[in-house]
Amino acid sequence: MKKIGKGIGVSFYGTGYGNGFPDVSRAIIRLLPEGKIGIYCGVTEVGQGAKTSMRQIAAEVLGLGVEDIELVHENTSLMPDSGTAAATRQTYNTGNAIKIACENMRTELFKKTKEALSLNSTAGLVLENGEIILGFFPQKRISFKELAEIYKGEKILEASGEFTAQTTQMDEETGQGAPYWPYTFNACAVEVEVDTNTGIVNLLRATFAQDAGRAVNPQLLEGQMDGGFAMGLGYALFEDLNIENGKMKNNKFSKYLIPTAMDMIDIKNIIVEDPESTAPYGAKGIGEPVMIPIAPAILNAIYDAIGVRIKELPVTPEKLMKAIRESA
Amino acid sequence: MVNIGLTVNQKLFEISVDENLRLIDLLRDKLGFHGTKEGCGEGECGACTVIMDGETVNSCLVMAFQANGSNITTIEGMEKDGKLHPIQQAYIDAGAVQCGFCIPGMVLSTKALLDKNSHPNRDEIREGISGNLCRCTGYNKMLDATEMAIKYMEEEKE
Ligand code: FES
Ligand code: FES
Repeated sequence: MKKIGKGIGVSFYGTGYGNGFPDVSRAIIRLLPEGKIGIYCGVTEVGQGAKTSMRQIAAEVLGLGVEDIELVHENTSLMPDSGTAAATRQTYNTGNAIKIACENMRTELFKKTKEALSLNSTAGLVLENGEIILGFFPQKRISFKELAEIYKGEKILEASGEFTAQTTQMDEETGQGAPYWPYTFNACAVEVEVDTNTGIVNLLRATFAQDAGRAVNPQLLEGQMDGGFAMGLGYALFEDLNIENGKMKNNKFSKYLIPTAMDMIDIKNIIVEDPESTAPYGAKGIGEPVMIPIAPAILNAIYDAIGVRIKELPVTPEKLMKAIRESA
Repeated sequence: MVNIGLTVNQKLFEISVDENLRLIDLLRDKLGFHGTKEGCGEGECGACTVIMDGETVNSCLVMAFQANGSNITTIEGMEKDGKLHPIQQAYIDAGAVQCGFCIPGMVLSTKALLDKNSHPNRDEIREGISGNLCRCTGYNKMLDATEMAIKYMEEEKE
Protein backbone atom coordinates (compact mmCIF):
# COMPACT_ATOMS: atom_id res chain seq x y z
CA MET A 1 0.00 0.00 0.00
CA LYS A 2 1.21 3.51 -0.74
CA LYS A 3 0.96 5.99 2.09
CA ILE A 4 1.64 9.70 2.02
CA GLY A 5 3.14 11.73 4.85
CA LYS A 6 4.52 15.19 5.54
CA GLY A 7 7.41 16.20 7.75
CA ILE A 8 9.53 19.18 8.69
CA GLY A 9 13.08 19.66 9.86
CA VAL A 10 14.63 22.82 11.27
CA SER A 11 18.18 23.61 12.24
CA PHE A 12 20.57 26.30 13.35
CA TYR A 13 24.27 26.23 12.71
CA GLY A 14 27.23 28.14 14.13
CA THR A 15 29.65 29.63 11.60
CA GLY A 16 33.41 29.11 11.79
CA TYR A 17 35.84 27.18 13.99
CA GLY A 18 34.18 28.42 17.13
CA ASN A 19 34.79 27.94 20.84
CA GLY A 20 37.28 30.79 21.12
CA PHE A 21 39.67 29.30 18.57
CA PRO A 22 41.49 32.06 16.64
CA ASP A 23 39.61 32.13 13.37
CA VAL A 24 41.45 34.59 11.12
CA SER A 25 41.16 35.64 7.49
CA ARG A 26 43.45 38.07 5.70
CA ALA A 27 43.52 39.81 2.34
CA ILE A 28 45.71 42.21 0.40
CA ILE A 29 44.28 44.53 -2.23
CA ARG A 30 46.43 45.99 -5.02
CA LEU A 31 45.84 48.50 -7.76
CA LEU A 32 46.82 46.66 -10.94
CA PRO A 33 47.85 48.03 -14.35
CA GLU A 34 44.91 49.34 -16.40
CA GLY A 35 43.20 50.31 -13.14
CA LYS A 36 41.98 46.87 -12.24
CA ILE A 37 41.86 45.74 -8.63
CA GLY A 38 43.57 42.57 -7.45
CA ILE A 39 42.49 40.63 -4.37
CA TYR A 40 45.34 38.54 -2.98
CA CYS A 41 43.75 36.16 -0.56
CA GLY A 42 44.06 32.53 0.45
CA VAL A 43 40.36 31.81 -0.07
CA THR A 44 39.88 28.47 -1.83
CA GLU A 45 37.28 27.79 -4.47
CA VAL A 46 35.82 24.32 -4.02
CA GLY A 47 32.71 24.89 -6.07
CA GLN A 48 30.91 26.97 -3.48
CA GLY A 49 31.32 30.16 -5.49
CA ALA A 50 34.06 31.98 -3.54
CA LYS A 51 35.60 33.16 -6.80
CA THR A 52 32.41 35.00 -7.65
CA SER A 53 31.13 36.20 -4.29
CA MET A 54 34.47 37.49 -2.97
CA ARG A 55 34.87 39.59 -6.11
CA GLN A 56 31.32 40.84 -5.73
CA ILE A 57 32.06 42.06 -2.19
CA ALA A 58 35.19 43.90 -3.37
CA ALA A 59 33.34 45.40 -6.33
CA GLU A 60 30.65 46.71 -4.00
CA VAL A 61 33.14 48.52 -1.74
CA LEU A 62 35.15 50.02 -4.59
CA GLY A 63 32.30 50.96 -6.91
CA LEU A 64 33.56 48.71 -9.71
CA GLY A 65 32.11 45.97 -11.87
CA VAL A 66 32.96 42.36 -10.95
CA GLU A 67 34.87 42.11 -14.25
CA ASP A 68 37.32 44.76 -12.97
CA ILE A 69 38.29 42.64 -9.97
CA GLU A 70 40.88 39.89 -10.21
CA LEU A 71 41.12 37.28 -7.51
CA VAL A 72 44.58 35.82 -7.04
CA HIS A 73 44.24 32.85 -4.71
CA GLU A 74 45.12 29.23 -4.00
CA ASN A 75 48.87 29.88 -4.08
CA THR A 76 50.44 30.26 -0.65
CA SER A 77 53.56 32.01 -2.00
CA LEU A 78 51.55 34.95 -3.32
CA MET A 79 49.02 35.75 -0.62
CA PRO A 80 48.20 35.73 3.08
CA ASP A 81 46.37 32.87 4.75
CA SER A 82 42.61 32.97 4.95
CA GLY A 83 41.98 29.76 6.80
CA THR A 84 40.25 26.72 5.41
CA ALA A 85 37.30 26.56 3.04
CA ALA A 86 35.47 24.74 5.80
CA ALA A 87 33.11 25.40 8.71
CA THR A 88 30.92 27.57 6.44
CA ARG A 89 33.34 30.41 7.20
CA GLN A 90 34.55 31.89 3.91
CA THR A 91 31.65 34.22 3.10
CA TYR A 92 31.54 35.56 6.64
CA ASN A 93 35.21 35.53 7.71
CA THR A 94 37.06 36.05 4.46
CA GLY A 95 34.26 38.22 3.06
CA ASN A 96 34.80 40.45 6.09
CA ALA A 97 38.60 40.49 5.61
CA ILE A 98 38.21 41.44 1.94
CA LYS A 99 35.67 44.13 2.77
CA ILE A 100 37.97 45.61 5.43
CA ALA A 101 40.98 45.45 3.08
CA CYS A 102 38.97 47.16 0.33
CA GLU A 103 37.86 49.88 2.73
CA ASN A 104 41.51 50.45 3.65
CA MET A 105 42.29 50.53 -0.06
CA ARG A 106 39.59 53.14 -0.55
CA THR A 107 41.25 55.32 2.13
CA GLU A 108 44.56 54.84 0.32
CA LEU A 109 43.02 55.74 -3.05
CA PHE A 110 41.44 58.86 -1.56
CA LYS A 111 44.80 59.97 -0.09
CA LYS A 112 46.53 59.56 -3.43
CA THR A 113 43.66 61.35 -5.17
CA LYS A 114 44.08 64.27 -2.79
CA GLU A 115 47.74 64.49 -3.80
CA ALA A 116 47.16 64.00 -7.52
CA LEU A 117 44.38 66.58 -7.71
CA SER A 118 45.98 68.97 -5.17
CA LEU A 119 42.92 68.91 -2.91
CA ASN A 120 42.83 70.15 0.70
CA SER A 121 41.43 66.94 2.07
CA THR A 122 39.75 63.68 1.14
CA ALA A 123 36.32 64.90 2.28
CA GLY A 124 33.58 64.61 -0.30
CA LEU A 125 35.38 62.04 -2.46
CA VAL A 126 33.24 59.23 -3.87
CA LEU A 127 33.92 56.11 -5.94
CA GLU A 128 31.98 55.58 -9.12
CA ASN A 129 32.56 53.28 -12.09
CA GLY A 130 36.33 53.16 -11.76
CA GLU A 131 36.75 56.86 -10.98
CA ILE A 132 37.33 58.85 -7.83
CA ILE A 133 35.23 61.95 -7.98
CA LEU A 134 34.76 65.00 -5.78
CA GLY A 135 31.01 64.55 -5.30
CA PHE A 136 30.04 68.23 -5.15
CA PHE A 137 32.43 69.39 -7.87
CA PRO A 138 32.65 66.47 -10.29
CA GLN A 139 35.04 68.29 -12.64
CA LYS A 140 37.67 67.16 -10.13
CA ARG A 141 38.10 63.49 -10.89
CA ILE A 142 40.72 60.85 -11.53
CA SER A 143 40.31 57.30 -12.78
CA PHE A 144 41.74 54.11 -11.27
CA LYS A 145 43.56 53.74 -14.58
CA GLU A 146 45.27 57.13 -14.24
CA LEU A 147 46.25 56.37 -10.64
CA ALA A 148 47.64 53.02 -11.79
CA GLU A 149 49.82 54.92 -14.28
CA ILE A 150 51.32 56.96 -11.43
CA TYR A 151 51.62 54.08 -8.97
CA LYS A 152 53.30 51.27 -10.82
CA GLY A 153 56.44 49.18 -10.42
CA GLU A 154 58.07 49.88 -7.05
CA LYS A 155 55.41 52.36 -5.99
CA ILE A 156 52.52 49.90 -6.19
CA LEU A 157 49.43 50.93 -4.24
CA GLU A 158 48.16 48.35 -1.80
CA ALA A 159 46.25 47.88 1.42
CA SER A 160 45.58 44.93 3.64
CA GLY A 161 42.80 43.80 5.93
CA GLU A 162 42.24 41.17 8.53
CA PHE A 163 39.20 39.78 10.31
CA THR A 164 39.09 37.59 13.39
CA ALA A 165 35.78 36.08 14.35
CA GLN A 166 34.50 36.75 17.87
CA THR A 167 33.72 33.60 19.82
CA THR A 168 34.34 32.62 23.42
CA GLN A 169 35.30 29.31 24.89
CA MET A 170 32.58 27.31 26.59
CA ASP A 171 32.90 26.82 30.32
CA GLU A 172 33.93 23.19 30.82
CA GLU A 173 31.80 22.84 33.94
CA THR A 174 28.60 24.54 32.91
CA GLY A 175 28.77 24.38 29.11
CA GLN A 176 27.93 28.07 29.03
CA GLY A 177 29.52 30.55 26.64
CA ALA A 178 29.20 32.05 23.16
CA PRO A 179 31.01 29.34 21.19
CA TYR A 180 29.87 30.55 17.77
CA TRP A 181 28.90 33.69 15.99
CA PRO A 182 26.92 34.16 13.82
CA TYR A 183 24.32 31.43 13.57
CA THR A 184 22.41 30.48 10.42
CA PHE A 185 18.88 29.09 10.45
CA ASN A 186 16.83 26.98 8.07
CA ALA A 187 13.69 24.93 7.71
CA CYS A 188 12.65 22.21 5.29
CA ALA A 189 9.29 20.59 4.62
CA VAL A 190 8.82 17.46 2.51
CA GLU A 191 6.03 15.21 1.37
CA VAL A 192 6.88 11.55 0.79
CA GLU A 193 5.15 8.46 -0.46
CA VAL A 194 6.03 5.24 1.36
CA ASP A 195 5.30 1.91 -0.31
CA THR A 196 4.59 -0.47 2.58
CA ASN A 197 4.96 -3.52 0.31
CA THR A 198 8.45 -2.66 -0.95
CA GLY A 199 9.81 -0.24 1.66
CA ILE A 200 10.64 2.30 -1.02
CA VAL A 201 10.35 5.97 -0.07
CA ASN A 202 9.62 8.48 -2.83
CA LEU A 203 9.88 12.22 -2.48
CA LEU A 204 6.87 14.07 -3.83
CA ARG A 205 7.35 17.70 -2.86
CA ALA A 206 9.80 19.85 -0.93
CA THR A 207 10.10 23.42 0.27
CA PHE A 208 13.34 24.66 1.74
CA ALA A 209 13.92 28.01 3.45
CA GLN A 210 17.46 29.15 4.23
CA ASP A 211 18.56 32.23 6.14
CA ALA A 212 21.60 33.77 4.45
CA GLY A 213 21.75 37.11 6.24
CA ARG A 214 22.06 38.67 2.83
CA ALA A 215 22.26 36.79 -0.46
CA VAL A 216 25.48 37.94 -2.15
CA ASN A 217 24.58 35.81 -5.16
CA PRO A 218 21.07 34.30 -5.07
CA GLN A 219 21.72 31.94 -7.98
CA LEU A 220 24.76 30.37 -6.31
CA LEU A 221 22.87 30.20 -3.06
CA GLU A 222 20.00 28.26 -4.64
CA GLY A 223 22.55 25.93 -6.20
CA GLN A 224 24.00 25.20 -2.78
CA MET A 225 20.52 24.66 -1.36
CA ASP A 226 19.74 22.13 -4.13
CA GLY A 227 23.08 20.44 -3.53
CA GLY A 228 22.61 20.30 0.23
CA PHE A 229 19.14 18.90 -0.25
CA ALA A 230 20.46 16.16 -2.53
CA MET A 231 23.18 15.27 -0.02
CA GLY A 232 20.64 15.19 2.80
CA LEU A 233 18.39 13.01 0.68
CA GLY A 234 21.26 10.59 0.00
CA TYR A 235 22.19 10.59 3.69
CA ALA A 236 18.61 9.78 4.65
CA LEU A 237 17.78 7.11 2.08
CA PHE A 238 20.82 5.65 0.31
CA GLU A 239 24.31 6.43 1.52
CA ASP A 240 25.96 3.81 3.69
CA LEU A 241 29.71 3.34 4.12
CA ASN A 242 29.01 -0.05 5.71
CA ILE A 243 32.03 -0.13 7.98
CA GLU A 244 33.08 -3.54 9.26
CA ASN A 245 36.11 -3.95 11.51
CA GLY A 246 37.27 -0.49 10.56
CA LYS A 247 37.04 -1.20 6.83
CA MET A 248 34.73 0.60 4.47
CA LYS A 249 32.87 -2.12 2.59
CA ASN A 250 30.87 0.16 0.31
CA ASN A 251 33.95 1.73 -1.21
CA LYS A 252 32.61 2.14 -4.75
CA PHE A 253 29.67 3.88 -6.38
CA SER A 254 28.05 0.55 -7.28
CA LYS A 255 27.57 -0.02 -3.54
CA TYR A 256 27.74 3.47 -2.05
CA LEU A 257 24.69 4.97 -3.71
CA ILE A 258 24.34 8.72 -4.07
CA PRO A 259 21.28 10.39 -5.59
CA THR A 260 21.08 10.63 -9.37
CA ALA A 261 19.08 13.26 -11.23
CA MET A 262 16.13 10.83 -11.16
CA ASP A 263 16.16 10.65 -7.36
CA MET A 264 15.96 14.44 -7.02
CA ILE A 265 12.84 16.50 -7.34
CA ASP A 266 12.25 20.17 -8.03
CA ILE A 267 12.46 22.06 -4.77
CA LYS A 268 10.80 25.30 -3.84
CA ASN A 269 13.74 27.26 -2.43
CA ILE A 270 13.14 30.31 -0.28
CA ILE A 271 16.04 32.60 0.60
CA VAL A 272 15.46 34.46 3.86
CA GLU A 273 17.39 37.72 4.17
CA ASP A 274 17.92 39.16 7.63
CA PRO A 275 21.27 41.00 7.49
CA GLU A 276 23.77 40.11 10.21
CA SER A 277 25.35 43.25 11.65
CA THR A 278 28.89 41.82 11.96
CA ALA A 279 28.88 40.27 8.47
CA PRO A 280 30.06 41.70 5.13
CA TYR A 281 26.92 43.47 3.86
CA GLY A 282 25.05 41.18 6.25
CA ALA A 283 26.01 37.94 4.45
CA LYS A 284 26.52 34.63 6.22
CA GLY A 285 27.70 31.32 4.78
CA ILE A 286 25.32 28.44 4.11
CA GLY A 287 27.66 25.68 2.89
CA GLU A 288 27.07 23.10 5.59
CA PRO A 289 23.75 24.19 7.11
CA VAL A 290 21.90 23.38 3.87
CA MET A 291 22.34 19.67 4.53
CA ILE A 292 21.18 19.52 8.11
CA PRO A 293 17.35 19.72 8.18
CA ILE A 294 16.75 17.43 5.19
CA ALA A 295 17.11 13.97 6.74
CA PRO A 296 15.01 14.89 9.82
CA ALA A 297 12.27 16.25 7.55
CA ILE A 298 12.25 13.01 5.53
CA LEU A 299 12.20 10.81 8.63
CA ASN A 300 9.37 12.85 10.13
CA ALA A 301 7.43 12.48 6.88
CA ILE A 302 7.94 8.70 6.95
CA TYR A 303 6.62 8.67 10.52
CA ASP A 304 3.64 10.75 9.47
CA ALA A 305 2.92 8.33 6.63
CA ILE A 306 3.18 4.99 8.43
CA GLY A 307 3.59 5.72 12.14
CA VAL A 308 7.03 4.11 12.33
CA ARG A 309 9.99 5.94 13.89
CA ILE A 310 13.27 5.23 12.13
CA LYS A 311 16.38 5.70 14.26
CA GLU A 312 19.13 4.53 11.95
CA LEU A 313 20.22 5.87 8.58
CA PRO A 314 19.99 5.27 5.73
CA VAL A 315 16.37 4.17 5.51
CA THR A 316 16.92 1.41 2.95
CA PRO A 317 13.88 -0.59 1.79
CA GLU A 318 15.10 -3.61 3.80
CA LYS A 319 15.44 -1.58 7.00
CA LEU A 320 12.09 0.05 6.50
CA MET A 321 10.34 -3.31 5.89
CA LYS A 322 11.97 -4.69 9.04
CA ALA A 323 10.86 -1.67 11.06
CA ILE A 324 7.32 -2.00 9.71
CA ARG A 325 7.20 -5.72 10.65
CA GLU A 326 8.59 -5.04 14.13
CA SER A 327 6.10 -2.28 14.82
CA ALA A 328 3.11 -4.41 13.78
CA MET B 1 50.26 -3.01 -30.20
CA VAL B 2 47.48 -2.38 -32.70
CA ASN B 3 47.16 0.36 -35.26
CA ILE B 4 43.91 2.26 -35.08
CA GLY B 5 42.40 5.31 -36.70
CA LEU B 6 39.67 7.41 -35.18
CA THR B 7 38.16 10.86 -35.48
CA VAL B 8 38.17 12.99 -32.35
CA ASN B 9 36.46 16.37 -32.52
CA GLN B 10 36.48 16.32 -36.35
CA LYS B 11 40.18 15.52 -36.54
CA LEU B 12 41.59 12.19 -37.74
CA PHE B 13 44.18 10.47 -35.54
CA GLU B 14 46.18 7.42 -36.57
CA ILE B 15 48.04 5.84 -33.73
CA SER B 16 49.48 2.59 -32.48
CA VAL B 17 48.12 1.57 -29.06
CA ASP B 18 48.51 -1.18 -26.49
CA GLU B 19 45.75 -3.78 -26.53
CA ASN B 20 44.97 -3.02 -22.90
CA LEU B 21 44.85 0.76 -23.23
CA ARG B 22 41.49 2.26 -22.29
CA LEU B 23 39.82 4.91 -24.43
CA ILE B 24 40.02 7.44 -21.57
CA ASP B 25 43.81 7.02 -21.39
CA LEU B 26 44.11 7.33 -25.15
CA LEU B 27 42.11 10.56 -25.04
CA ARG B 28 43.85 12.07 -22.02
CA ASP B 29 47.41 10.78 -22.11
CA LYS B 30 48.08 10.19 -25.80
CA LEU B 31 45.89 12.78 -27.50
CA GLY B 32 45.84 15.44 -24.78
CA PHE B 33 42.06 15.84 -24.32
CA HIS B 34 42.23 16.43 -20.57
CA GLY B 35 38.64 17.66 -20.38
CA THR B 36 37.55 14.04 -20.10
CA LYS B 37 37.69 13.20 -16.38
CA GLU B 38 38.23 9.92 -14.60
CA GLY B 39 36.13 9.52 -11.48
CA CYS B 40 35.51 5.91 -10.53
CA GLY B 41 37.18 4.05 -13.40
CA GLU B 42 34.47 1.40 -13.32
CA GLY B 43 31.50 2.70 -15.24
CA GLU B 44 29.49 4.14 -12.35
CA CYS B 45 29.98 7.91 -12.25
CA GLY B 46 29.86 9.15 -15.84
CA ALA B 47 32.66 11.70 -15.37
CA CYS B 48 34.49 10.09 -18.31
CA THR B 49 31.50 10.33 -20.69
CA VAL B 50 32.27 11.01 -24.35
CA ILE B 51 30.04 10.74 -27.40
CA MET B 52 31.04 7.86 -29.68
CA ASP B 53 29.13 7.54 -32.97
CA GLY B 54 26.21 9.46 -31.53
CA GLU B 55 25.93 7.48 -28.29
CA THR B 56 27.35 8.37 -24.89
CA VAL B 57 29.88 5.89 -23.58
CA ASN B 58 31.92 5.66 -20.40
CA SER B 59 35.39 6.01 -21.84
CA CYS B 60 36.83 4.14 -18.85
CA LEU B 61 35.00 1.01 -19.98
CA VAL B 62 35.83 1.17 -23.70
CA MET B 63 39.16 -0.17 -24.91
CA ALA B 64 41.09 2.11 -27.22
CA PHE B 65 41.16 -0.48 -30.03
CA GLN B 66 37.36 -0.71 -29.85
CA ALA B 67 37.24 2.91 -30.90
CA ASN B 68 38.92 2.06 -34.21
CA GLY B 69 37.03 3.78 -37.03
CA SER B 70 34.74 5.65 -34.68
CA ASN B 71 33.80 9.29 -34.45
CA ILE B 72 34.24 10.77 -30.99
CA THR B 73 33.26 14.08 -29.44
CA THR B 74 34.87 15.19 -26.19
CA ILE B 75 34.13 18.39 -24.27
CA GLU B 76 36.90 20.13 -26.24
CA GLY B 77 34.89 19.51 -29.41
CA MET B 78 31.83 21.41 -28.20
CA GLU B 79 32.91 24.98 -28.87
CA LYS B 80 32.88 26.32 -32.41
CA ASP B 81 35.03 29.20 -33.68
CA GLY B 82 36.05 30.17 -30.17
CA LYS B 83 32.43 30.34 -29.06
CA LEU B 84 30.99 28.06 -26.41
CA HIS B 85 28.28 25.62 -27.45
CA PRO B 86 24.81 26.85 -26.37
CA ILE B 87 24.66 24.02 -23.82
CA GLN B 88 27.94 25.16 -22.26
CA GLN B 89 26.76 28.77 -22.21
CA ALA B 90 23.47 27.72 -20.63
CA TYR B 91 25.27 25.74 -17.92
CA ILE B 92 27.16 28.92 -17.03
CA ASP B 93 24.13 31.18 -17.24
CA ALA B 94 21.95 28.87 -15.14
CA GLY B 95 24.61 28.52 -12.44
CA ALA B 96 24.70 24.75 -13.01
CA VAL B 97 28.41 24.37 -12.31
CA GLN B 98 29.85 24.04 -8.83
CA CYS B 99 33.13 22.12 -8.42
CA GLY B 100 32.98 21.27 -12.13
CA PHE B 101 34.30 17.74 -12.03
CA CYS B 102 31.15 16.12 -13.44
CA ILE B 103 30.49 18.92 -15.91
CA PRO B 104 32.31 17.73 -19.07
CA GLY B 105 30.47 14.40 -18.90
CA MET B 106 27.22 16.09 -17.93
CA VAL B 107 27.38 18.53 -20.86
CA LEU B 108 28.07 15.70 -23.31
CA SER B 109 25.16 13.65 -21.94
CA THR B 110 22.96 16.71 -22.31
CA LYS B 111 24.12 17.10 -25.91
CA ALA B 112 23.46 13.44 -26.71
CA LEU B 113 20.00 13.79 -25.19
CA LEU B 114 19.13 16.93 -27.16
CA ASP B 115 20.51 15.44 -30.40
CA LYS B 116 17.89 12.69 -30.08
CA ASN B 117 15.07 14.61 -28.44
CA SER B 118 15.14 18.34 -29.06
CA HIS B 119 12.36 19.12 -26.54
CA PRO B 120 12.62 16.79 -23.56
CA ASN B 121 10.45 17.48 -20.52
CA ARG B 122 12.03 17.69 -17.06
CA ASP B 123 11.59 13.98 -16.35
CA GLU B 124 13.20 13.09 -19.65
CA ILE B 125 16.12 15.40 -18.87
CA ARG B 126 16.50 13.75 -15.46
CA GLU B 127 16.63 10.39 -17.18
CA GLY B 128 19.04 11.64 -19.84
CA ILE B 129 21.64 12.78 -17.30
CA SER B 130 20.97 10.06 -14.73
CA GLY B 131 24.13 8.18 -15.73
CA ASN B 132 26.22 11.12 -14.59
CA LEU B 133 26.72 11.55 -10.87
CA CYS B 134 27.11 15.01 -9.38
CA ARG B 135 27.94 15.50 -5.72
CA CYS B 136 27.51 19.26 -5.66
CA THR B 137 24.53 20.66 -7.49
CA GLY B 138 21.52 18.48 -6.77
CA TYR B 139 21.02 18.50 -10.57
CA ASN B 140 18.12 20.97 -10.67
CA LYS B 141 20.12 23.84 -12.14
CA MET B 142 21.29 21.40 -14.82
CA LEU B 143 17.66 20.86 -15.76
CA ASP B 144 17.23 24.64 -15.89
CA ALA B 145 20.39 24.87 -18.03
CA THR B 146 19.09 22.27 -20.46
CA GLU B 147 15.81 24.14 -20.87
CA MET B 148 17.79 27.35 -21.39
CA ALA B 149 20.01 25.62 -23.97
CA ILE B 150 16.95 24.51 -25.94
CA LYS B 151 15.90 28.18 -26.17
CA TYR B 152 19.41 29.31 -27.16
CA MET B 153 19.55 26.68 -29.91
CA GLU B 154 16.15 27.73 -31.26
CA GLU B 155 17.25 31.37 -31.30
CA GLU B 156 20.40 30.36 -33.16
CA LYS B 157 18.33 28.70 -35.88
CA GLU B 158 16.21 31.80 -36.48
S1 FES C 1 35.34 7.16 -14.61
FE1 FES C 1 34.21 6.15 -16.11
S2 FES C 1 32.25 5.97 -15.25
FE2 FES C 1 33.45 6.78 -13.61
S1 FES D 1 29.61 20.17 -9.96
FE1 FES D 1 30.79 19.06 -8.51
S2 FES D 1 30.37 17.00 -9.04
FE2 FES D 1 29.03 18.11 -10.28
